[in-house]
Amino acid sequence: MRDAPRQITLEEWDARYAELSAAGMQEPTYGGPLRRHVGEGDLRLQNLRYDNSAASLRLWNFLLTEEDRLHQARAEGRKIVGAMKDLGTVPVMAYSLPGVAAFYPDGAWWLPCIMEDSTGMLPIADSLGIDESFCPVRAMLGAFVTGGHFPIPDLLTCSVGATCDDFSAIAQRLNSLGYPILWWEIPSRRHPEPDEMEIRLPGGFSAPETQVAFVRAELERIRRALEDLVGRRLTEDALSAGIRAANRVRRLLSQLRRLTYTAKICPLPALEMLVAEMLAIHFCSDRAEARVVLEQLLREVRERVQAQQGVLSKASARVFWVNPVADLRVMNLLEECGGRICGTDYLFCHVLDKIPENLSPMEALARIALADPMVGTAADRAERICRDILAFHAEALVISRIPGASHCATEGEVIRDFVHSRVGIPVIEIEVPPVSDSYRSTLRTRLEALVEAAKERRRT
Amino acid sequence: MKKLVYSCPFVPAEWIAAHGLSPSRILPGPADVSAFAGASAGVCPYAAAFLHALSRDDEAEAAVLTTVCDQMRRGFEQAQRTDRRPVFLLNVPSTWQTVTAQKIYMSEVERLGRFLIRLGGKKPSADELASVMREYDARRSGLREARGCVAPRRFSEAIAQFHREGMVDPGLREDAYTPHGIPVALIGSPLMSHHFPIFDLIESGGGAVVLDATESGERTMPPPFDRRSLAADPFMTLVDAYFGQIPDAFRRPNNQLYQWLKRESAERGARGVILRYYTWCDKWHAELQRMKEWSEAPVLGISTGADKALDGHAISRIESFLEMLK
Repeated sequence: MRDAPRQITLEEWDARYAELSAAGMQEPTYGGPLRRHVGEGDLRLQNLRYDNSAASLRLWNFLLTEEDRLHQARAEGRKIVGAMKDLGTVPVMAYSLPGVAAFYPDGAWWLPCIMEDSTGMLPIADSLGIDESFCPVRAMLGAFVTGGHFPIPDLLTCSVGATCDDFSAIAQRLNSLGYPILWWEIPSRRHPEPDEMEIRLPGGFSAPETQVAFVRAELERIRRALEDLVGRRLTEDALSAGIRAANRVRRLLSQLRRLTYTAKICPLPALEMLVAEMLAIHFCSDRAEARVVLEQLLREVRERVQAQQGVLSKASARVFWVNPVADLRVMNLLEECGGRICGTDYLFCHVLDKIPENLSPMEALARIALADPMVGTAADRAERICRDILAFHAEALVISRIPGASHCATEGEVIRDFVHSRVGIPVIEIEVPPVSDSYRSTLRTRLEALVEAAKERRRT
Repeated sequence: MKKLVYSCPFVPAEWIAAHGLSPSRILPGPADVSAFAGASAGVCPYAAAFLHALSRDDEAEAAVLTTVCDQMRRGFEQAQRTDRRPVFLLNVPSTWQTVTAQKIYMSEVERLGRFLIRLGGKKPSADELASVMREYDARRSGLREARGCVAPRRFSEAIAQFHREGMVDPGLREDAYTPHGIPVALIGSPLMSHHFPIFDLIESGGGAVVLDATESGERTMPPPFDRRSLAADPFMTLVDAYFGQIPDAFRRPNNQLYQWLKRESAERGARGVILRYYTWCDKWHAELQRMKEWSEAPVLGISTGADKALDGHAISRIESFLEMLK
């Protein structure tokens, strides 16, 4: 059943779901009406606007049932790996082994938003000395302590070194509560010196060969830990197969982004694209299904682009967005203000890059880990942002600060200056707390001004 | 001699001195954080003050920043943007119990050596390095011997002076001091040059800092070098002393800090712990509650900015804390 694409409320989804079901929509086992998640505590869903396609419904259901999948994996005797902070490397290794599910405990940072602060996780973090001066990822502590969300992992890894202080400190606090953590070092990526061998990394950055070798050695420790966990070897062949499977997901996402962000009329809203991009980090705990979800989404977008249909006005200002928002509702707000997303750097754009398949798998993984935009300089990151702004013809930039995050204190200015000098588009920096309702009018004013400025530039 | 400034204890002064440059580990003075280019909410006052101090230091030929915290790591980028002098970022791994972490640190110190040579330094022979290390070791021993013989503030200022100038005040031990007051440990972020009145405040409240475990204090002095290994392999001895032996909150895991604190606090008879950290210093702030749960002695947390040693609120809290310990 094809209807005109549009954004609808949760109430409208009730009727839409009935229509799609009546029309014979096939759903996976985790399918069902979106409203049921509200009953499970996901209160924020009532305040969001959604794409009205069956593909998007599947995407949302896939995202919102991740905890169920993890509990099911535990019940089935599969080993669970909590991969903290590296955003996209350890899960590729973990999913190369049968009987392992990997996820990001860091993802709990969205729970205060999704559950509208009703989880009690932030007060738990407060009680552990991790107050609101830290990034909202502190909610993860509450999730561990209550055990009420994801199962406690059999193996917990955390990359440290060139990471934000918030996360490193919070993970250390978690460790002090009795959760063993396998720490691994990700060094601050630097440019090679004249006498050093340069390695080109996926995404366009470069690093000295020695740094790649260090990361490779660290990932070898992870490999051994995974092998110990499951009692079998993680062979080169298995890793290569795991990389190919991850690349299939990355390829799909890459196509989806290109199609969506370059289309004349926006075929898929910002919120659904944000969720889709997140799938590449750890496949939402089911690699095969993540691929199916993205394939369906891509099909939907292709059809819409072909039919020149979309969810927003053709005149929408094309906005590039930096950093993920703690409150998902702000992605809706941008569109309400007349903007559309055309390019993103949600801190994990390295998971959008293809992992090299012509190298030994550990070398390839080391290179992709070092390609993380956050382990290098803000100028490096800004350079990639500029490339993508040009590729997606973005007309404005939003730098979204994460409350309390150490990297947000200074990176905004660097990125702003870089983008001004290279691309010359209007830039604003905003801060988005987990539930931003009380800031909504301010955010709206700022986003509207940005959109207006971007549109004004079209006339000059 | 060309002066090279830094603030991180994981930069080995001996390595810089052995290359023929003058290492100066400084404590910045007061700074208006908002005046710092690129500053916005969330900027660490210490990192901003260090960069401010660097910009005002006309004698410094170059600077070294490290990766022990994210804000300093990013401060390197700020310094590159705003300062024309050469700046080096030393990658100090957060992990420390693995061979890879040691290798990273070792290779970074070697890379620092190449930076020093580009500044006009000369690569030292093993003997030359060993000789410089022995000198520094002797001066640190002299400092340690002064502990308890001079007033706590004087002792901590002497450590700061040694770090800044490489020298120990020859008149240090001439001061007459009789230990008195309730013994407390002061731990946490580094002090700034104008923050030493905190020792006076503690003293006037009836306490005495018997353990300066701030980053600018004795905690971050590397332990005495092993004579035999110094003779056999000075470079490795240096690496081990700095990377392997200095306990700090940023390390992962950081249990070494707690082991050290337990041992030293017991030895000095500390009856209370004051943990002092800068606003937005996540690494120390996150340790506060854990330390309260861990420590047998009461722990007081004090958050501070860059402008003055302590505000009225913090002063009252310290006074109440000491009163409680009486």
